[in-house]
Amino acid sequence: MNLKTDILIIGGGSAGSLAAIVAKEQNPEADVLVMEKGEIHRSGSIAMGMDALNIVVQPGISTPELYLNSARIATDGILDYKPSYVMAERSYSILKRLEGWGIRFPKDEQDKYISLQVHAKGKFLLEMDSPDLKLVLAEKIKEADVQVLNRTMVTSLLVTQGKVHGAMGFNLRTGEFVVVSAKATILANGGCARFSLPNSGYLYGLFDYPGNAGDGYSLAYRAGAKLTGFEYTSCSPLIKDINCPLLYITITRGAKVINAFGEEIELEYLNTQTMLKELREGRGPIFIQLSHLPEEKIQEIERILFTTERPIQKRFWENRGIDFRKGMIELGITEYQLCGGHGLTGIVVNEKTETTLDGLFAAGDVACVPFQHLTGAFVFGEISGENAVAYAKNVQHIEISESVINDEKQRLFSILDEEGKDNKITVSEFEYKVRRTISDYVVPPKNERKLQQALWWIPRFRKEMKNIQVRDYHELSRFEEIKFILDCMELSTYAAMERKESRWGWFHYRTDYPQQDDDNWLTHVVLELGKKSGEPQTTLVPIKTKED
Amino acid sequence: MPLIIDENLCNSCGVCVERCTMDIIRLDENGIPYKKYDECWYCGVCEEDCPENALIIELPFLVK
Repeated sequence: MNLKTDILIIGGGSAGSLAAIVAKEQNPEADVLVMEKGEIHRSGSIAMGMDALNIVVQPGISTPELYLNSARIATDGILDYKPSYVMAERSYSILKRLEGWGIRFPKDEQDKYISLQVHAKGKFLLEMDSPDLKLVLAEKIKEADVQVLNRTMVTSLLVTQGKVHGAMGFNLRTGEFVVVSAKATILANGGCARFSLPNSGYLYGLFDYPGNAGDGYSLAYRAGAKLTGFEYTSCSPLIKDINCPLLYITITRGAKVINAFGEEIELEYLNTQTMLKELREGRGPIFIQLSHLPEEKIQEIERILFTTERPIQKRFWENRGIDFRKGMIELGITEYQLCGGHGLTGIVVNEKTETTLDGLFAAGDVACVPFQHLTGAFVFGEISGENAVAYAKNVQHIEISESVINDEKQRLFSILDEEGKDNKITVSEFEYKVRRTISDYVVPPKNERKLQQALWWIPRFRKEMKNIQVRDYHELSRFEEIKFILDCMELSTYAAMERKESRWGWFHYRTDYPQQDDDNWLTHVVLELGKKSGEPQTTLVPIKTKED
Repeated sequence: MPLIIDENLCNSCGVCVERCTMDIIRLDENGIPYKKYDECWYCGVCEEDCPENALIIELPFLVK
């Protein structure tokens, strides 16, 4: 299938949906096409909705400056001023847009939005009642006459002389090869949730959506874009074994966190690092306690937990026989992930969502605007839609060389071994070992020698991928995802080696450089593909301030 | 960890196959959904979107 479009959006989750809708608002004549690995009604990280919009600056109540102060604290200073400022500034109009679409934001008796404090300064988190959020977005996409290719995975971006002009991929059910020529391309395909192994040992038992295998990071990296923040491997204390989130929902409503000795853990602004430390230092298990709360509060918490984001946890608790009125919720550490929304990792972008490559924009978890959460996905989705449309007006399609198409097609489909005769390692077995090796060497506590061990494994894994059994297109998609995971492993290892200090608490803790060193390291570690070496090249780039 | 299907309620519409976030559900020769790949994230979409309420996800043993 060969297609031509003005705007190509890769990934139809929160950011990609807004990008598509806004691109059509800006120019109804423009052709807008979404390549979605899942199915657009229920894709990305919010398939079953979300209970809050984490960052909303309400005029007259808080200010973007106040948000920036909080964000600087949360990121240990690794934060460019402008993108986060613009996000805060536009957050209220996002709230109003969503409200206009029928998304409910509960209000108190004084008719004010219910806002909760989870940041160091100011109440920015707004309650949101929207199990059907993704269905609403999908409906808007349909109304806007956006073309959607579901179950279509992108395996490579088209780049000519440093300019991105589309993408290639395949339908992971039919195997149809898809080439899309685009004037402007927006990457909105999430972070890398499938990074280290979860403690349960179940490959897909993750906190974030497992379809996010670092696709966008790898695609951008291979195309020549700059990326940053890959040393910040982060995890959270969530419901042990099932890894479903509940911290904000419970703690903002009065829950306590209790350690093994029955002591309450003091949490400063929901700092998860304190809880992780408690576990590391042998004061676990740790628990969320709700039993002291009034019945109506417990019911409110149950209603949110059992209807939105991960409603399956209702069955989990029933199976364990735990009632929040009596029993406690044990917390465990999730797998480590790389993410722009929950962390500091992603493609380098400015406040216009421009990457360092001409023709390529990035929005949502794939882009590095630290802790942007769902608000960032929506705001930068909007901005990328606006800017991609403006960009596309002034450029023409670039002809795609037949050899580029044939090479990619040949590469992909030669991996298939339908009878599974020649190759003996299953995709899940291979992924298990890659991710176990990430757990062994790439996540904290880190040191030079451990990171070298990771580097020893990476080329070995890449070479050994030829022995993976790929019997159908579904398995081919998992094979391609393992490639993405390996690229993320490599980027994370190089970045961690480069940053010879410890920063962001446990998440980049090095036993050989245990101190945070602001004199030398209050800076970005930026990665790009070395043109000659084929390996990541690192450079240090100053943090951009208000004046830059 | 199978999908638990009430075969009296299931009308083989395929919405679960259509919407599965990990694309792991298929219909068998009798039109009944099953998990073809062992990669369930237990997101609950198949259960929620099933128009006949014919389907229940069983949590994987390793996490339940």
